Amino acid sequence: MWEKLRKPSVKYSLIGLLSTGFIAGILFWGGFNTAMEATNQLEFCIGCHEMRDNVYAEYKETIHYSNRTGVKAVCSDCHVPKDWTHKMIRKIQASKEVWGKITGVIDTPEKFEAHRMQLAQNEWNRMKASDSRECRNCHSFDAMSKEKQRGTPYKKHMAAKAEGKTCIDCHKGIAHKLPKEYEEPEDEE
Amino acid sequence: MKFSKSLVSALVAGVAAASFASGVMAQEVDAAKDLMKQNKCTQCHGMDKDKDGPSFKKTAAKYKGKADGEATLVKHLTSSPKVKLADGSEEEHKVVKTTPPNDKAQVTNLVKYILSL
Repeated sequence: MWEKLRKPSVKYSLIGLLSTGFIAGILFWGGFNTAMEATNQLEFCIGCHEMRDNVYAEYKETIHYSNRTGVKAVCSDCHVPKDWTHKMIRKIQASKEVWGKITGVIDTPEKFEAHRMQLAQNEWNRMKASDSRECRNCHSFDAMSKEKQRGTPYKKHMAAKAEGKTCIDCHKGIAHKLPKEYEEPEDEE
Repeated sequence: MKFSKSLVSALVAGVAAASFASGVMAQEVDAAKDLMKQNKCTQCHGMDKDKDGPSFKKTAAKYKGKADGEATLVKHLTSSPKVKLADGSEEEHKVVKTTPPNDKAQVTNLVKYILSL
């Protein structure tokens, strides 16, 4: 078999082989990316009851789901990096979540609540480490208007920028419920 | 003997009622604390410390014992009134969000907790 594969072709022209390889490459790459995109759809995420009945139900009550201007952030907008390298790393890490689904780690509301702190902490750590990269796909300190943003948030945002804080430092639990074990720092300004 | 028996049963009933009441109370306090946490109230109000808004203890002291105290605070948390901040600026107070939405009982429970501080 290997012998045959390693031998030069006597039947097909080089251009024929290259063209076939090129077209096959495009088809493979297109298929791969389509599959990646499919797993980024909200419908894919809520295909499992673990997501649909817990975090999705909570997110539906928040501003990232429904708001004045109709700009919506779906699951992957916040939870999957946009750029290719980080997206691939995250997708590979997600295989652990598939394993979790198979073994039923959070398949009841009680089990979900028992793991909520750990799950939230994982995501907060990921966001903290990337300087809240996924938030910054849409939000930036520099684009905040002093005139259009309310006084207190503007003041706090500018102070946070000066202190080198990142979005997730203050905005935990904005799209899902905060875990019961989580305590808001009393002195957070 | 008869007296002590009824005394004992009264005591048992009393203890049971008290522990039941405190159980319910603890649950209500937990629910109030959770609602406070989910709404990030402490970003502007400290428990003892004034921030952009007054501390909860200060609010409790102001409204405790007043006939309309509870109703005033519930209205404050549900109707986004204009409030004056520590720096003198004016802003609309955030409406407390509940799950399910607009559950007045949850807001009232939160107000009761604040008034108990």
